[in-house]
Amino acid sequence: MVAGHFGFAAMVKSRERSAPLWALMLATAWLDIVFVPLLLVHRESVQPIHAGYAGLIIHADYTHSIVGMLALSAALGAMFLPRLGKRVALVIALVSASHWVLDLMVHRPDMPVLPGNLGNLPYFGLGLWNHPQAAACVELVLVAAGAIMYWRAAMDVSTRADRNGRLASFSAAMIAAFGLLMLFLDYTS
Amino acid sequence: MSFIAGVLLFVVVVGLVDRRLPWPSAKQQEVGKW
Repeated sequence: MVAGHFGFAAMVKSRERSAPLWALMLATAWLDIVFVPLLLVHRESVQPIHAGYAGLIIHADYTHSIVGMLALSAALGAMFLPRLGKRVALVIALVSASHWVLDLMVHRPDMPVLPGNLGNLPYFGLGLWNHPQAAACVELVLVAAGAIMYWRAAMDVSTRADRNGRLASFSAAMIAAFGLLMLFLDYTS
Repeated sequence: MSFIAGVLLFVVVVGLVDRRLPWPSAKQQEVGKW
């Protein structure tokens, strides 16, 4: 899931208007951003189980463990605290944590409680990726809802500032277009 | 890697366009609420 995370960030932006969209999008991808260098040094890995969309078991035992997710989300929120204040920093930390919640829905059971799966506790994952079409539908709904909610909020602030809504519509259209493109590329990979 | 580059480009471009909209400032809003 990539596009769905960004759709969720756009939804949050519509409700928490002072939070910069780029920061929300960074937050929603934060666990995966940290995952990439760990993947490159083989501390985390992906195991293909079939070709195409949703065909992976992801062994992200540090970044996508519950404790790891909480620590990374808190660290990201703390990084934004001086620049954006307590409220937005908290929102950014929660959006980072939302990545794990959305992943919980789609991942097969591959997300541990403790980093490195210390204690061999049970893995989490509800496995919607076993039904790729349903998972893609969820992502599509997140992208569409995010773009629509963002557009409505952007139009509202533009109207209040006596601006026309062209930039708001353009920005929302970009979110929708890029989101759908990402989903299409992911689904047809 | 090209997919990751595309995602990064998306975040940068959308973020830059979004910054031009008249959203309330995070710090100003916080002064009123906290």
